[in-house]
Amino acid sequence: MKKKILIIAMWLLIWQLLSLIIHNKILLVGPVETIQSLITLSQNPEFWQSVIASAMRIGLGFILGALFGIFMAALAYQKSLVRDFLEPLVAALKAIPVASFVIIVLIWIGNINLSIVISFLIVFPIMYLNTLEGLNSTDKKLLEMAHVYRIGTFRKIRYIYLPEIYFFLVSGVKLSIGMAWKSGVAAEVIGQPLGTIGNGLYRAKIYLETGDLFAWTLVIIILSWLFEKVFLLLIKAPVLFGIIKTAPCDNDSEGGARN
Amino acid sequence: MIIEIDNISKSYGDQKVIENFSLQIESEHSYVITGESGSGKTTLLRILLGLESADEGRISLLGDYKYPYLNAGVVFQEDRLLEGFSAVENVAMASRRMAKETAREELEKLLPADQLDKPVRELSGGMKRRVAIVRACSISSDILILDEPFTGLDNGNKEKVIQYIREKQGNNPLVITSHSLEGLEFCRNISIK
Repeated sequence: MKKKILIIAMWLLIWQLLSLIIHNKILLVGPVETIQSLITLSQNPEFWQSVIASAMRIGLGFILGALFGIFMAALAYQKSLVRDFLEPLVAALKAIPVASFVIIVLIWIGNINLSIVISFLIVFPIMYLNTLEGLNSTDKKLLEMAHVYRIGTFRKIRYIYLPEIYFFLVSGVKLSIGMAWKSGVAAEVIGQPLGTIGNGLYRAKIYLETGDLFAWTLVIIILSWLFEKVFLLLIKAPVLFGIIKTAPCDNDSEGGARN
Repeated sequence: MIIEIDNISKSYGDQKVIENFSLQIESEHSYVITGESGSGKTTLLRILLGLESADEGRISLLGDYKYPYLNAGVVFQEDRLLEGFSAVENVAMASRRMAKETAREELEKLLPADQLDKPVRELSGGMKRRVAIVRACSISSDILILDEPFTGLDNGNKEKVIQYIREKQGNNPLVITSHSLEGLEFCRNISIK
């Protein structure tokens, strides 16, 4: 921890020194000016409205994308037709650049809910693929045991599937939260809905307020980090309360099925 | 209950694993299926449980049986336990009707009480095997099907386990596969080749 703090302090120092050397507040501002800009911005109620508006929209897009991704993965796991049907869509969602999505969605629905849709479209394939991979890696021998003992769906989910897909879900959440923020803010910068972080970033660019630009970027980083912590805590809650117990499986270690 | 295994055969590719095997399994009877490694003992049990189908022949549940499937307490060749959960949870989760207290009471017959709440991944191989045996024997079933249940058990524990199995068997049929007949003299020996 001490080492980590020291490394961060070193980078902040390098950043501050670079800004002093360049000595041009349009090209680069240092951490001190960034914090000063952030304090100035935060004294304006519009700043907080923008933060809340963007966080709510991107958060909603993330939640909807994650839930839909998990739900569709569960369906695709059970029905190969669903999996085959979704395969080209998921491949397209992964390949299409965010900017193209933003422009298309902007034409379709306007700029107000743009970041919700964009975050959703970015999060859905990540959560879908991660969940499906987790489900596919479920121990078939445990599922066979559950079948023989006629174990019901709820208990199968709790005792077999959730421990297996848990780490895939955590990794999906970690990856997609950062992506949701990056794409959601990019959508706001392009779509320009008023009273959002993206709009703040755009205005900073127009007026060459590099301090504000850095301050907004810092806000995005902090919010993305906070979101990651909150959602990971939510997803870890069943493990902390002992509802799900994760463990590596070694059921294959004692020979095959045939004798 | 009577299970009639009528002339079943099973092959994997060119390899014939079971050839024209017949057996009638009846209530209150115990059977030990012996044979060399690869002789098809596990495959026979898997066919009996409906996990695989025979290429030829058929298996019938005779009489007025209440389920369309075999309601069995099963020990697989591997333990197939939920490694992150305790022995009590592993046993209790196998039946909706079993309370954790009941599972604990059953487990205490074969395992030390201080081992029952640890994740099973922390138990020894022999202890895991006993958890799998208790899980199979303590649920309400119509037949016990145990595939090499004594793997990893020393003689003392094997004796205790046999006694426990016989106690839990009640009037139900019991089918065991084993390399050794030691301690299983009460069973009818069925050789499979």
